[in-house]
Amino acid sequence: MGTVINIAPITRIEGHAKIAIHLDDQGNVRDTFLHIQSLRGFEKFVEGRPAEEIPRIVTRICGICPWMHHLAASKAVDAAFGVTPPPAGRLLREICQLFAHITDKILHFFFLAAPDFVLGPDADYSVRNVMGIVKAEPELAARVVKMRQLGQMMLERLAGKAIHPVAGVVGGFSRPMLETERQELLRDAETLLDFSCYALDFAKNTVFTRYMDVIRELGAITTGFLGTVDRDDGSLRLYDGRQRLMKADGSCIDFEGDRYADHIGEHVEPWSYGKMPYAKSWQEGFSLNPAAPAGIYRSNTLARINVCEKISTPRAQAALEEFRGIFGRPAQQTLLYHYTRLIELLYVCERAIELLQRDEVTDTRIRAAAEPRAGRGVGIVEAPRGTLIHDYTTDRNGCITKANLIVGTTHNIGPMNMSVRQAATSLIKGGVYDEGLLNKVEMAVRAYDP
Amino acid sequence: MGFEPKIIAFCCNWCSYAAADLAGTARMQYPHNVRIIRVMCSGMVHPELVLDALSHGADGVIVLGCHLGECHYQDGNHKALARSAVITELLEDFGYETERYEISWLSSSEPDRLVKAFTDITERVRKMGPVNAHDLAG
Amino acid sequence: MSVRAALEWLNSCSGCEIAILNIGEALVPLLTQHLDLVHAPILMDHKYLGQRGDGTELDIPEAEVGLVSGGVANIEHLQVLVKMRERCRVLIALGTCATHGGIPALMNGQDRREGWEGVFATRTTDPGCSVPDIEVPAPLDRVYACDEKVKIDLFLPGCPPNPALIAEVLMAVVEGRDPVLPQKSVCDTCPAKREGKGAVSVVRRFLINAEFLAEDPVGRMRCLLEQGFMCMGPVTAAGCAGRGLPRCIEARVPCRGCFGPVRRDGNQMLDMMNALASNGIDFKSVVDRRSLLRFSGAHGLLRPVKKKPAAGRG
Repeated sequence: MGTVINIAPITRIEGHAKIAIHLDDQGNVRDTFLHIQSLRGFEKFVEGRPAEEIPRIVTRICGICPWMHHLAASKAVDAAFGVTPPPAGRLLREICQLFAHITDKILHFFFLAAPDFVLGPDADYSVRNVMGIVKAEPELAARVVKMRQLGQMMLERLAGKAIHPVAGVVGGFSRPMLETERQELLRDAETLLDFSCYALDFAKNTVFTRYMDVIRELGAITTGFLGTVDRDDGSLRLYDGRQRLMKADGSCIDFEGDRYADHIGEHVEPWSYGKMPYAKSWQEGFSLNPAAPAGIYRSNTLARINVCEKISTPRAQAALEEFRGIFGRPAQQTLLYHYTRLIELLYVCERAIELLQRDEVTDTRIRAAAEPRAGRGVGIVEAPRGTLIHDYTTDRNGCITKANLIVGTTHNIGPMNMSVRQAATSLIKGGVYDEGLLNKVEMAVRAYDP
Repeated sequence: MGFEPKIIAFCCNWCSYAAADLAGTARMQYPHNVRIIRVMCSGMVHPELVLDALSHGADGVIVLGCHLGECHYQDGNHKALARSAVITELLEDFGYETERYEISWLSSSEPDRLVKAFTDITERVRKMGPVNAHDLAG
Repeated sequence: MSVRAALEWLNSCSGCEIAILNIGEALVPLLTQHLDLVHAPILMDHKYLGQRGDGTELDIPEAEVGLVSGGVANIEHLQVLVKMRERCRVLIALGTCATHGGIPALMNGQDRREGWEGVFATRTTDPGCSVPDIEVPAPLDRVYACDEKVKIDLFLPGCPPNPALIAEVLMAVVEGRDPVLPQKSVCDTCPAKREGKGAVSVVRRFLINAEFLAEDPVGRMRCLLEQGFMCMGPVTAAGCAGRGLPRCIEARVPCRGCFGPVRRDGNQMLDMMNALASNGIDFKSVVDRRSLLRFSGAHGLLRPVKKKPAAGRG
């Protein structure tokens, strides 16, 4: 009987989880577990609620990405009620999704992940955080805080609430964009695009070059990938498109979202409230065995970058080409999530500007009237953390009878377990470890931005 | 030692409270279980007062107002009726049997109706037993 | 002289924590000068069981002020909350989950066992799975608000809470004074035009947009209740107004009560039904009235529907 090291809680993530590292008598890693601690029951307690209320209830699944649940639910209820938003309504929804992606990525990279890179993974824990970054790099920190706040205020100006939004409604959006607002938002989006270019340069110079060996090794595993791509040209898409499931060898299956249940199953382990999705349609079953993983795929930025043919906006595309030149396709190293997150940050800024420039964005026809009815609808968007699936069935009063939710981050629970095992096994030998080493194991989780 | 229910009666000043006075001077007996709370109009009895009473030891609640059309404040008792529908509908949501609550109408010269109303609710609630304390959470 | 602070999250979603970040540029001096964060899992790396992961008892350092978000739904939440009460001189319940249960307390309306089992029996979950129970905290019998388990010194509701009010409360603690918090209902902060509810007899579902001219300020829009929509402004605590008016109304969307009841021990469902009935509106036209408690289902208010034995209905 050996010792158990409990990293509890995992910090600088969005959620409640702990890592248990079981050592054998020689002090080497025998087993590792990522115990996901939180369970709230959304799939159950939305039953009985009127479907049009769901988009403003399910936002509370996550306070960092509430817009994603808001929009996936709106799309699902649209489908259940058989209603299609007018073009301006659809545009406003996607614009809000893009703004939300922007602030989310700035938050994750600079507030949660960067302390490990800017201050070093072995820095004393009391400074290895965003407060430490403020002290070490005050100008950078001030700029980061300002940019993140700008993105949030853009959402508030357009949609009232940035956190736990209400403006995405069944049939479209709740208020049109005014021309004056459009001009201001365009100007602000340009500011954010500027910052995003700076962010990627900063990361390339201070993080990726300096920590290249850590990036190549830490938590590195081999898996498939899941993302969303444009139906016509396979380019990266976040609001709508076709789902693409890629195997580790690069071969792909594309499917329409409402067939998701044919491709994805959810495995349950008694030691994690978070379920583990796996690729049912590969017909390999489920296994986390690092030597022979089965059914395992990842979501989130690295996955989306891998599965897309290209990116439809110029700066992001150039960054993608540079990335692929170095790391290939698909790229597997886990810490590359940080790099691909910043490539996506470029895309979402450019795409927001592109949409804000469209004439129809200020059209006042933003919502189609809906009648409650019995139906079923699946709504999928790419949340920052992965492919988000909301599936609702309604009765003839238009109230929910059944719900199935596969949250973006859960696709990565199996892979995170594998990355933790890989990191712990390679770092802890003969019972020798220190706090900085344990932090490195956590870094293998943090990259996934769970 | 049988169960003695506690009944709270919200009595409107102009009708039922006066009727209770009259019952007293006429030496008419009504069950000792009833505790009277005087209100100026049945319309001011917020559903929350009923729920509060039930959650703080009352086993039954009755509201007694003026006959419709005879309210001292014109339409206060109509508001009481509307609120009463809410209370009746919502009691089960909060874990109480609907029969623990009642609204009734009388005038200041009808002490017999008052006595009957008090007696009826006391007996009905006696048969139901006390409010189930363990059903109510903290 | 900075004040030691600890931040914890229980049955939460991190929206309250993002609301703290949304304080804006004042956040930097707050986090680095006025406050000394000694424990805050979302932002920094203090651990429960020691930094080498070899402790056996959950520990949190002492602090002058503690902020807790999220309700209490499992035994670990309870442990953490009790420890926060023990270690923090002033304990603040942050957000409506902490003050009133919040959205996750909707689970209180479910049968306890069926509820959790249902989550592990969805369309795509592998069949035959049971609720996990190894190294994960066991659920309590229902979702509680923080003050049902420990004494709370200050309540700051909101879903999310208003960043300006969070800053006000934290600075009040730093400066040793009482905070200034709003006391009334959302209607008190709403500029919409009131002309009388007489015409409304039933409540409409929010399936079409409200009537308004986009280029007109919200003050020219007719009150949403008067337009026949369910708006919980009258029965909800004020505080959300960020830019001079309630945030949902700003988006031309009716209020759903996310700051909890006006009085801390109020009942939003009862109050709303009462408000409708008192104004001659048919309260039975509300579809799913139980969801009026969606933010305040703790304190024993939201409970599973009792199955009627005699009628034979499931």
